[in-house]
Amino acid sequence: MERHLILEDGTVFSGQGFGAPATTFGEIIFDTASSGYQETITNPIYDGQMIVFAMPVVGADGIHAEAYESINPKIRGMIVHDLAEVSTNRQRRMNLDRFLQQYNIPGLAQVDTRKLIRHLRETGSQKATIVDVVDEHAKDQLAATVLTNKQVQNTATPKAYANPGRGFHIIVIDFGLKHGILRVLGDYDANVTVLPYTTSVDEVLTLDPDGIILSTGPGNPEDLPESVLTLIRVLQTKVPMLGIGLGHELFALANNSALAALPAEYHGMNHPIQEIISKEIIYARQGRGYVVDPDELDSKKLFVTHRDMIDHSIQGLRHREYPAFSVQFFPDGAPGPEEAKRVFLDFFETVVDYVQKNN
Amino acid sequence: MANKVVLDQPSMQRALTRITYEILEHNKGGQNLILVGVKTRGEYLAHRIADRLEQLEGEKIPVMAIDITDYRDDRLDHDTQLGLNEQERLNIVDQNIVLVDDVLFTGRTTRAALDALIQIGRPKTITLAVLIDRGHRELPIRADFVGKNIPTAQNEKIQVMVDEIDGEDAVVIEH
Repeated sequence: MERHLILEDGTVFSGQGFGAPATTFGEIIFDTASSGYQETITNPIYDGQMIVFAMPVVGADGIHAEAYESINPKIRGMIVHDLAEVSTNRQRRMNLDRFLQQYNIPGLAQVDTRKLIRHLRETGSQKATIVDVVDEHAKDQLAATVLTNKQVQNTATPKAYANPGRGFHIIVIDFGLKHGILRVLGDYDANVTVLPYTTSVDEVLTLDPDGIILSTGPGNPEDLPESVLTLIRVLQTKVPMLGIGLGHELFALANNSALAALPAEYHGMNHPIQEIISKEIIYARQGRGYVVDPDELDSKKLFVTHRDMIDHSIQGLRHREYPAFSVQFFPDGAPGPEEAKRVFLDFFETVVDYVQKNN
Repeated sequence: MANKVVLDQPSMQRALTRITYEILEHNKGGQNLILVGVKTRGEYLAHRIADRLEQLEGEKIPVMAIDITDYRDDRLDHDTQLGLNEQERLNIVDQNIVLVDDVLFTGRTTRAALDALIQIGRPKTITLAVLIDRGHRELPIRADFVGKNIPTAQNEKIQVMVDEIDGEDAVVIEH
């Protein structure tokens, strides 16, 4: 069935509907990665967003049990050039079309995604809707829609839970974390406790952590309560800390630095990232709508450890006084290159150091 | 005799990177910092750390090398020559010294290096960075920055190899 994508600026793209026949609203962004659609659509950082895939054919791998980054996808729509018509994956369970139907998420295929992405690069992220009929009513609906800024509340855990292991006790403060983080912590046999972002300093310290991770998550970091920044400010002085994605942005905010919204969000995995200290280049999955503003970085507190070699954005920070650091990119891969996993190795070495010095 | 690589090139690089970050953290920046490498391999490691500090801070951190051969308490032919000649000597008075060595073992080399340093001036602080801490201390000395702790037997030999003179970066245990 022919369906349509309407952008806030009035542009219309038409294509063939797949997934659920629902009408949805969301912020439209694009992903330039050539693999990992399942991980991408299940990553909670995309809560409330519609994703345009630059990859010409999407869906050929079906849906796999091991490729979820959260249990329920939170995207509002998926726009592709070609949908691969595979009946099932090799475990014969699920394909992309049925998966989206199940979660009431519409898809749109046969869209000129190159043109659409060029358009979005010029005009920036904006509201969009997927509809059956393009008329004034649909456009009015879109104009009247106010998108939520409660994405972290939507995706982060409201209750603490454990992911037990026999190694170091790592506390993950959850802002809408992707499973990749827990998967890597599992590789280290870490004893993980995931806490809601509304946790207090005392609740964290009572659990006697060896290290703290500020998780990835969706939305604008400045929409989160000030208490989160206070939590970071206190904890970074006590226990080794690693911030990832949204966690990195919050780490910067907590240390007197400011963020800048990108004119067009970047989601992909083809930007070389330089580790400044060693001049080494790594690749990693990246997904960001905000970056730390280099002019607003408090260099008395923080210094830059990684930079994106394409847009020169700050990709890593470290505190000058405490064993606390952060990366904008996703070091767990899932999907994408795994060479950035060394960030976790650095974190655990810092944890070992901390534990040895404090025992 | 079997050799076992306990630190390969990437791990060695990462260990030096982490030591550098910890030095910055501890010193609260690169100011008044002098790196003193214990010859031979400690000197190269000190230069590597200095390069990293320069990458981050944009400033060259002075590096000095000392030869502690004449200060070893296990050598009886003590004629107290300084471990460095006049030209190489930096003014260490009131500076924060980071002593850099490849392996911390009995602690006797470190003690000798401390003696040599204190003879040329009174630094504000001296801290110790080592790539490998292999245990078996005979003196009350500990490292402030450790690349890797490697528990060893007394009779094992640890060899740190640096690209500059050994043609490769690696740490091996010889059994």
